Amino acid sequence: MDGYSALLVVTFLVVGLAVTMLVLNLLLGPKNPSAIKSEPFECGQVQITSPRQRFSVKFYLIAIVFIVFDIEVVFLIPWAVLYRWFLTQPSWAVLAFTEMLVFLGILGLGLAYFWKRRGLEWD
Amino acid sequence: MINTIPIHYFLLLSAMLFTIGMLGVIFRRNALIVFMSIELMLNAVNLTLVTFSRFRGDSSGHVIAFLVMAVAAAEAAVGLAIIINIFRHKKVVNIDTMDRMKY
Amino acid sequence: MALILFFVFAIAAVLSGICVAFSPFGNNPVYSAIALIMTLFFLACEFVLLHATFIAVLQILVYAGAIMVLFTFVIMLLNLSKEEIGEERLTLTKVVGLVVVLIGLTYQIGRVIWAHKVAPVTLHLTDGGPSNPAFGTIQDVGVKLFQDFLVPFEVTSILLLVAIVGAVVLAKRKI
Repeated sequence: MDGYSALLVVTFLVVGLAVTMLVLNLLLGPKNPSAIKSEPFECGQVQITSPRQRFSVKFYLIAIVFIVFDIEVVFLIPWAVLYRWFLTQPSWAVLAFTEMLVFLGILGLGLAYFWKRRGLEWD
Repeated sequence: MINTIPIHYFLLLSAMLFTIGMLGVIFRRNALIVFMSIELMLNAVNLTLVTFSRFRGDSSGHVIAFLVMAVAAAEAAVGLAIIINIFRHKKVVNIDTMDRMKY
Repeated sequence: MALILFFVFAIAAVLSGICVAFSPFGNNPVYSAIALIMTLFFLACEFVLLHATFIAVLQILVYAGAIMVLFTFVIMLLNLSKEEIGEERLTLTKVVGLVVVLIGLTYQIGRVIWAHKVAPVTLHLTDGGPSNPAFGTIQDVGVKLFQDFLVPFEVTSILLLVAIVGAVVLAKRKI
């Protein structure tokens, strides 16, 4: 647990540093707000449209695929860490390989379906 | 003494978080917040699993917590897609208005 | 020290948990999402206190890193206005629900405290940890996952496949 106490010290240092900088800025920095200064800044241009617009639902599909394959990679991590150990166990060596192959195969089916339904294309 | 934590503290924390999530589901009508409350309940359950796993010195609970996370991801993907679809059709996310199939 | 850490993280987790369900800052779901991320982070700290290091990392990686990204993404995608959020109403059903949930919580707390009185179990942070020194590490959890939980592991892949198919069917305009 000694490693964690070091982590704790670092956490306190980081949070303390950030808070100190913000508070000092709040106390020492000069503030002269004016109407023209608090306008939204967009490359020196006057705003044409509102920045709060809905964006396309197509982005959502990409996010879904990201999250599913993120989970897949998370399942791969312990497998990759343990693979050498599995090879030393005669009864598990083949099974460990096959089970990950099945797992990846089923998720590959998902990717194939997504591809077939033109999810990877923009329109 | 100060380096020991009674195990029931973890269970009480988990029970409190679960209750907060449940009250969120009961009281809030915004579908997104209801969904987040469900995630909170899933996490409270995860805390219980990990606590009992530590208590028994058996890491099976960790594996189940791992699987619960995968389930939560799948659930979030499909559930949020449903919310987006409902929003596209009805222009609201208030779950009081989603009662067409109730009557 | 461990007890102090536990209480700091527990109080922070409960407070931010309350902010998830009943945000004091307003009706905007973004506040709930940020509060939920904080809750998940403090729960990860509790997992570290329980020697569940791998689960703690996964909590940050999967929950705070992926699922909450999806949530904030959808909040931004919908970009709700006041009338689209709708209003909250207090009905009799909700009050009954509150009473039932609180009774359940009281019962649970009573049971746990009673069980602790009968046979107290305390966890040690520094000394007398788990008998297995590798407890909660990635190797320990991985061996369990790929040997004892082989079938649930494979079924998870089917679940993720279903998630892809469901999301495509629901979210794609033209299939």
